[in-house]
Amino acid sequence: MSSLNNIYDDTPFQTAGPFLHIGCLPNSIGIKNIFKHDLGIIPFDRKENADFISISGSVFDGSGQALDDVMLESWQCDESGQYSSSQGFARFVPNDKTKKYNLKTVKPGSVKNSDGTIQSPHILISISSRGINMSLNTRIYFEGDDLSNDPLLSFVKDDDKVSTLIAKKVDEDNYNFDIYLQGDKETVFLDI
Amino acid sequence: MTIKTLIKKNYEKQPISNYPDYKSSILRSPKNKKISVPSSISELSGPVFNKNIIGNLDNDLTLNYSKNNKLPIGQKIIVHGRVLDQYYKPLEGVLIEIWQANAGGKYLHMKDKNNAAIDSNFAGCGRYITSSNGSYEFLTIQPGAYPYPNRGIEWRPMHIHFSIFGKSFGQRLITQMYFQGDPLIQFCPMVNSITDKKAKQSLVGSLDLTKSETDQLLAYKFDIILRGYNQTFFENRNEGL
Repeated sequence: MSSLNNIYDDTPFQTAGPFLHIGCLPNSIGIKNIFKHDLGIIPFDRKENADFISISGSVFDGSGQALDDVMLESWQCDESGQYSSSQGFARFVPNDKTKKYNLKTVKPGSVKNSDGTIQSPHILISISSRGINMSLNTRIYFEGDDLSNDPLLSFVKDDDKVSTLIAKKVDEDNYNFDIYLQGDKETVFLDI
Repeated sequence: MTIKTLIKKNYEKQPISNYPDYKSSILRSPKNKKISVPSSISELSGPVFNKNIIGNLDNDLTLNYSKNNKLPIGQKIIVHGRVLDQYYKPLEGVLIEIWQANAGGKYLHMKDKNNAAIDSNFAGCGRYITSSNGSYEFLTIQPGAYPYPNRGIEWRPMHIHFSIFGKSFGQRLITQMYFQGDPLIQFCPMVNSITDKKAKQSLVGSLDLTKSETDQLLAYKFDIILRGYNQTFFENRNEGL
């Protein structure tokens, strides 16, 4: 029997809406004493912060407006390229005033695929908000890393498009990564 | 060797990202086609949450924000169901987070401008991790419909927001559940951004009278299907042969 006939459709997405903080980050908007703490506040539980990098940026809509009602989620491996189901996830929103998000995390290592190919260091990003009917997926790579053999970037081809996936190095530990939902600088979004 | 990949998303069953009837989507929908990439370990892995993060009242929205044991105002309901994969296999250990308006259609959120009352005993958030048969259950209050600015003032049907974590980042789902029989569903542009009739219908929680009778509370059933995996076996061979 063909297994294709037995595959059900997955449940469709709907927008997370403007009030997603209530369910995803309640403590951050003052709904205290229900959940002990919000999920994904720190991606890696380390005592020493010295090795953390910082990634900041904004999410821009088609009019050039930086959004303040968007939620980003990130997923990554540790410095040695190992994924662990208990670490590496973060959730963050832009600051109300600056409209910039900030992610403090460890710099991920290169990842070895099951077929032996090596992925350059990267972080998966998922973006949800009012007006986004289906959460958007993209990746952050890092300026200064060797990206020439990354299997995923070879699918993107066009250099201008690849550059939308690369965080710009501000200094040793600080990177900038802006996300453009539309326009000339539109970020590459992935069907993962 | 066996290659594991996520079953490709069928975009015909998903909402259209640029759906002008829903005004907010106009400036927030990418214009370029998404680039389709094979599943790597990055997409096949994901955060898994331990049941010890869940407090006793996390799935009881009627009590988890109550002051002095006072109940929130409104019709008490049960929302329950199962989380399954595309082969209909129940998924255990899946984190579900929900959020919703109170009985009057008001969110406990500083940016909600709807002129309706806050209920001091209701926050509208809950979470749960599915049990061994993939099931979940929330005790809550029937959320009210509410007006919002779109093409003029329009009405959101009664709904509960759902955020679901599977076992991999590629299974992540954010959606909304609607209520069987709500006349506002058909007019909602967010619902109608999904053109496939069956897909749209799959977001409507159905009245579960059997459970309503057993538990003596109105119950709605909402099953959620997350993406499954393809497993393909390849004989080991040298590249190029």
